[in-house]
Amino acid sequence: MDLRFSDEDRDFRARARQWLAANVPSTPRPAGGHSASQFDRDWQRKLYEHGWAGVAWPKEFGGMGLSGLQQVIWYEELSRAHAPAAHVSTTYVAQMHAGPTVIARGTEEQKAFHLPRILSGESLWCQGFSEPGAGSDLAALRTSGRIEGDHLVVNGAKMWTTDAMYADWMELLIRTDPDSQRHKGLTWLAFDMKSPGIDIKPIRTMLMDDHVNMVFFDEVRVPLSAVVGELGGGWSTAMATLSFERGLGFIADQLELFEKVGRAIELASELKDADGRPAIEDVEIARRLATIKAETMAIRAMTLADIAETDRTGIPGPKGSMMKLKVTATHKALSRLVSDILGWQFFEFDGNRNNNLWTHDFLWSWVFSIAGGSSEIQREITADRVLELPRSR
Amino acid sequence: MYLAPEGEELEIATAAADFIADALPIARLHEGGGSDMGAELRASLGEMGWFALALDEDRGGSGLSAVEHALFFREVGRQCGPLDILVQALGVQCAQDLTLRAELVAGESGVALLMPDSDRHRLIGGTEARYGLFVTPQGAALHDLSVAKIEPRPALDPANSLAIVSGLGPAIATRDGAQIWQLGQVGTAAMLLGLAEAALDLIVEYAKVRETFGKPIGAWQAVRHTCADMAVSNEGARSQLWYAATALKEARGDASAHLDAAKHLANEAAQFATDSNIQLHGGIGVTDEHDAHLLMKHAALLARLFGSRNDLLARLLHAELED
Repeated sequence: MDLRFSDEDRDFRARARQWLAANVPSTPRPAGGHSASQFDRDWQRKLYEHGWAGVAWPKEFGGMGLSGLQQVIWYEELSRAHAPAAHVSTTYVAQMHAGPTVIARGTEEQKAFHLPRILSGESLWCQGFSEPGAGSDLAALRTSGRIEGDHLVVNGAKMWTTDAMYADWMELLIRTDPDSQRHKGLTWLAFDMKSPGIDIKPIRTMLMDDHVNMVFFDEVRVPLSAVVGELGGGWSTAMATLSFERGLGFIADQLELFEKVGRAIELASELKDADGRPAIEDVEIARRLATIKAETMAIRAMTLADIAETDRTGIPGPKGSMMKLKVTATHKALSRLVSDILGWQFFEFDGNRNNNLWTHDFLWSWVFSIAGGSSEIQREITADRVLELPRSR
Repeated sequence: MYLAPEGEELEIATAAADFIADALPIARLHEGGGSDMGAELRASLGEMGWFALALDEDRGGSGLSAVEHALFFREVGRQCGPLDILVQALGVQCAQDLTLRAELVAGESGVALLMPDSDRHRLIGGTEARYGLFVTPQGAALHDLSVAKIEPRPALDPANSLAIVSGLGPAIATRDGAQIWQLGQVGTAAMLLGLAEAALDLIVEYAKVRETFGKPIGAWQAVRHTCADMAVSNEGARSQLWYAATALKEARGDASAHLDAAKHLANEAAQFATDSNIQLHGGIGVTDEHDAHLLMKHAALLARLFGSRNDLLARLLHAELED
C-alpha cells in the first residue's frame, strides 16, 4: 500500500491548480435558464482552448487521456478552486456519457462530427432514457421507432430529461423491434433536438425549478445514420459507456463532498444559534459534523482505492453502486445537518440556488438518491454483483 | 498510490489467516476454550514473531509497518481473537529494557490492558498476565501486576477476561509519544474490521441456504438491502483503515486524523454488521451455539478502546488533512 502520488501526478496537480487560479470565472454560474447553459458552453470552450477538455477521453479523440488518479486530482482541484462544477453543468451528459458512447460504438463519421463539438462546448446533450413507465426499470421502455426507408419514425415520450430545452442533441434509447421484450430490440440514437415533431414540457419540481422535462415524440423522422452501434443493439450501446466511465461517474460529487464538509464546519463556527452561541459549540452539531467528516474521508479513501485498482487492472470493479449509496446518504446527512446550523436562513428560499445554495442542496439530496438508479436499485446491484446473493427478480 | 494489500503484504496476510484460523479458531469459544491467549498460545505466537511484527529491526523486531500490523490483526478479529494478543504487541513496543523486551517478544509472560475506571483500573485480558499496559495518545506505561490486587469479574465478552485492579505499583517501563496509541488504534480498528467482515460473510452464506416462504432469504429485499448496507459500511471502514495505516507507515502529518476516522468507522461498521447479522439470522442468531453473539460482544468491547466515539469525533472535527 502506498499513498504517494508520482512526480508526474504531483506536477499535474500543480499545473491544474495554477491554471485554475488564473482562469476560474469571477462571476458565479447563473442559477438556471439559457444564461446558465451559455455560461457552461463558455467555460467548456475555455477549457478546450487551453487543453483541459475531455479529462477522461483518450488522446486520439481529442481528450487528455488522464489516468483515473489524475482525474481525481483534476476534480479535487476544480472543487478547491470553486470552479464551475462538472456535475451541475449542462455539458455533463455530453462529456460523461454521450461522448464516451460515441467513442466506444460510433462510426468514423459520427466520431468526426460529434466529438470535437462536445469537447469545445458547441454541442450540449441530454439523456432520453427514462419514460413514464420505465425509470429504475429502464428495460421496460416503450418509445418506438419504425423503419421507413432510410429513416426511423419515432413515437412516444421520455421523462426526467434534464436540460432538454438547452440541448442540441439527445442520446435517445427506443424500441425498434415492436415484438421485442426487455433488453432486446432497442436502438441508441444520436438525436437532433431541432427535429420537427418533438414537444418539450417542463416538469416543475420541489426545488422550485424546471430543470427536468417530458419530451414527446410525434411521428419524428430520424435518419438511420443517427444509429450508434447496431440497430436493435441499443442496450449494449447504452452499457458500453459504463466500462469507459470506470466507476468515475460520480467522482465530482464524491470529491466535492469532502470540500463541502469543510465549508459546513466554517459555517457552524460563524453562525450563531437563537441564544447567540456559535452553532459548533452545540455538542450534537459538532459530533454530527465530525461524523460526516469521517464519512467523507472514507469516501475519498474508497475512491482512491477503487481508482488505483482500476488504473492497474484496466477493468472497473463492481463497487460503483456501493459508492453511490454512500455518497448520496452522506450528502443527505450533511444537507440535513446544515439546515439545522442555518436556523431560519434555511427557510428563505426562492428557487435560485445562488441565493441559498445549502437549501438548494438539501432539496437536491433527494434528486441525487433517486436519479441515475435509486438507492434501492443500488442495493439490488450490490446484493447481486458484490455479495452474489440469490436474485430477487 | 495503491490502497489494497499487494506483494509481500498479501503473503503476510495469508500466513496470518492460516496461522490464526488454526491456532485460535472462533470455534474454541464454543468448546470451553476459555478467554484470552493463555500461556501456550502466547508462546507459540511469540515463536512465530507475531508480537514483534511492527517492532524496529534494531530492537529485535521484524521491522514491518502499521500496514502489516493491520493485516495481522484483521485476521485476529475475524476469529474473535482476544485483545491481549494486541496488548502483548504494544507492550513489546513499550519495553525499553532488553531482557524485558525479549521476554515479551517471546511471549514468556503476558500483558493485559489497563483502563482507568474512577479511582481504580479495569484489566482486560489475561488475569494471569504479569504486566498491565496503560496507553494514552501521549504515551504508554507498563506496570508489574504482581504487586497489585486483582479481583476477577464476570465478562460479557467471552473472548477476554475482565478484572478490577487496585493498588497498582509504579511503572516499570514508559514510552512517550503517540506511537503505541496509534498502533493500538490500527490494531483495534483492524480487529473490528475483521469482525464486521466475518459477520457479513456469515449472513451472506446463510441467506443463500436458509429458505422462508419458498425461497432463500437472500432473495428477499428486506434481507438483501441490509446486507448491501453492511457491505457499504465495511467497504468504507476498510478503505479508511488502509489509508490510515499507510499514512502512519509514511509518517504523514495527517496520520493521526486518519487513524481517528478509521477507528470511528470501524467502530460503527462492526457494531452495525454484528447487530444486523444477529437480526437477519432470526431465532438461531440469539442462540449460544451460534457465532453471531460472540462477534457482537467482542465488537462492543473493542469499540470502547483506543478512542471511543466521542473522543474520536472531538479530535476529528478540526483536524487538518493533506492531499
